[in-house]
Amino acid sequence: MKKFSILVLIIILGTVLAACNSDEDATATDGEISGEITVWVHPFTGDAEAEGAMWDEIVASYEEKYDATVTIETIPWGNRDQKILTALAANNGPDVFYAIPDQMPQYADEGMLVELDPYLEDNKMDGFVDTALVSTKWQDKTYGLPILQEAYTLFYNVDVIEAIGKDPENLPSTWSEFEEWAKAAKEQGFYAYSYQGGGSMNGTLYPFLWQAGGKVITQDDEIMINNAAGVEAFEFINKMYEKEWIPEDSITAMNHDAIWNAGEMLAVQGSGISLTNLQESDLNFVIAPPLKNKEQVTYGTTGMFVVPTNSDNPNAAVEFVKTVTNAENQRKFNTVTQYIPTRESAKDIFDDQKYLSQLAQYTQYALPGVIHPKGRNIMPMIQAEVQTMMEGKKTPQEAADAAAEAIEAEIAK
Amino acid sequence: MTLNNAEKIIEERETHNNGKAPLKDQRKNKNNTSSSKKPKLPFKERVKRQWDRNAIVYIFLIPALIHFIIFQVFPFAFSFVLTFLDWKVIGDPEFVGLKHWIAFLNDGLAWRAIWNTVLFSIYYIVPTMALGLILALIINSGVKASGVFKGIFFLPVVTSFVIIAGIWGWLFRGTESGMVNYLLSFFGIDTQLFLADSDQALLVLAGLSIFKVAGSTMIYYFAGLQSVDKQLYEAARIDGASPLRIFWTITFPLLKPIHFYVAIITTIGSFQIFDSTFLLTGGGPNYSTTTIVFYLYQQGFAGLNLSYAAVLSYVLFFIILVVSLIQRKYLGQETNYY
Repeated sequence: MKKFSILVLIIILGTVLAACNSDEDATATDGEISGEITVWVHPFTGDAEAEGAMWDEIVASYEEKYDATVTIETIPWGNRDQKILTALAANNGPDVFYAIPDQMPQYADEGMLVELDPYLEDNKMDGFVDTALVSTKWQDKTYGLPILQEAYTLFYNVDVIEAIGKDPENLPSTWSEFEEWAKAAKEQGFYAYSYQGGGSMNGTLYPFLWQAGGKVITQDDEIMINNAAGVEAFEFINKMYEKEWIPEDSITAMNHDAIWNAGEMLAVQGSGISLTNLQESDLNFVIAPPLKNKEQVTYGTTGMFVVPTNSDNPNAAVEFVKTVTNAENQRKFNTVTQYIPTRESAKDIFDDQKYLSQLAQYTQYALPGVIHPKGRNIMPMIQAEVQTMMEGKKTPQEAADAAAEAIEAEIAK
Repeated sequence: MTLNNAEKIIEERETHNNGKAPLKDQRKNKNNTSSSKKPKLPFKERVKRQWDRNAIVYIFLIPALIHFIIFQVFPFAFSFVLTFLDWKVIGDPEFVGLKHWIAFLNDGLAWRAIWNTVLFSIYYIVPTMALGLILALIINSGVKASGVFKGIFFLPVVTSFVIIAGIWGWLFRGTESGMVNYLLSFFGIDTQLFLADSDQALLVLAGLSIFKVAGSTMIYYFAGLQSVDKQLYEAARIDGASPLRIFWTITFPLLKPIHFYVAIITTIGSFQIFDSTFLLTGGGPNYSTTTIVFYLYQQGFAGLNLSYAAVLSYVLFFIILVVSLIQRKYLGQETNYY
């Protein structure tokens, strides 16, 4: 009995140890472009088959030029940050991954991303739309190359426009024109606009802030949210809420789809994604250019590919980033995903599509959010202050000052 | 030896049971007191005897223990080390001593988050238990088609939280056309903001959790009700006790182990509340629904401040530990009523 138990024990321990001891062969390469790289992408559409075929083509165009093999892994969007972080921490991560604007400076500031500038001399950089490169740079160094852009702008419900006696051919282009329309909509019992206070500030305060000529924070940590332009944006939102141009639940609302779909709202922010849904519904809509107060700007995310510093094969990885963002591959990518190419020349894919070609023009106005390593940390703080203001507990000036104070404390950490 | 083994195994099982549910057995206590009186043998000898007696038990435990060490003990210990480091995901971590713990003490938002969590527990624990008990009484009362009722009451438990939260958010929309606001308008009550009002948002979220969890507490109580001795009810009825009296003097006290178990489970659940805030309010308005886990998530995974998030997770751990110990002291005693 005893001998038997010891034997079993040894067998179990042996198996466990053997399982732990699988050796890894690390291949380090310098200069030469060869070996293998792993690229993490996400499901950009619902059509996995079309995307798979697209990646096959893009990879083939790379493998034709270089003696390296590429493995594309499609990672679901949910918890993507955790997945990337844990994989990178375990030295087990991809050689190239997809990053979004508020993620890039955060990672770059921690020294997690390879600086691409030394590799970019032969890459035609002037072909990129200027605003697309904003989000790839942190403190004058380039860490990623953009593959896609979006531009949010106002979508109007034509039936509501007609009901309030306005002209759908002649849409508001400034704040004051928009205010006039909003007033008319309210009088006829419509909401003017969807303000989704529970969602990202990129869809709420920030575009108004930029339109007013303001800024949240500069890359040199100068806080600008409570200057005159900033307060003007706070005031504008407060006015919209007090006059009930936006729904009562705007303070924390995550969406107003039900109201918009029921035809009770004049305008919403939308981009290419909303377009797909709108075209399926029978809502009669028109797209307006982004509003202007002092400046004409809007929000639009940029999607880019980056290379982590612990990649085993950075040379091949950077070449892949360059290849996937060249005009030809951008055409392939954005034809399938229906995002807007970041190279001006690749925008020709939408030439015969009325709405998408219109949206594609607006990416020149689209800023990618607050490009700062603390961008994500400060967003909930600003959000809380805007909410307090909307609840009527602070004036716009007080709220803006409190937001500036909170940002200062966070930066000092 | 075989007899010894069998007894030991029974004892092990009982200890195991006790860890999970407080169905305590008197015999175990007796065993404990008798063993502690034995004269102490040298350590080596004791280990040897233990091994001879239980070798096979340990051998079968090993795989489970290895799993436990890798996936439970190691992360638990490592996250404690993490609280003293400035841990960057890539590269070498920097030792910063108590910096993050001190930052926590001075972090008003963290305390606010803890307070919100406590408030949430108050709104959530007792109503969940009460509702679960009432539902269990309904299906235990022998109404027709009790199986159907059981299914209906249990439905929210098996439905995805995201879907339930979506429906809840839709019901409690803060506009005139929101379902609940529409119903309230019949009673002459003005449009309520619900999730957009810093005084109401947490209550609405607690309501969602009650709705979601009451079905599972119902099942625990239902099991408890089934195990109550029918003779006691019979005897009470013969004595002419009213149904209410029977409930308060027989059913309710005899359910004490269930109360204990459900109280612990719901307390832990309430301190870990995250998803409803994440899905419905994003922590607002003005931080009024920022719970400790939501704050921890924001710090760790949105702000990449993983070391500080580890501090918060330890604070959460201690809170849950202390609350569970208190509950154990006051609720977890022996149930000897007859």
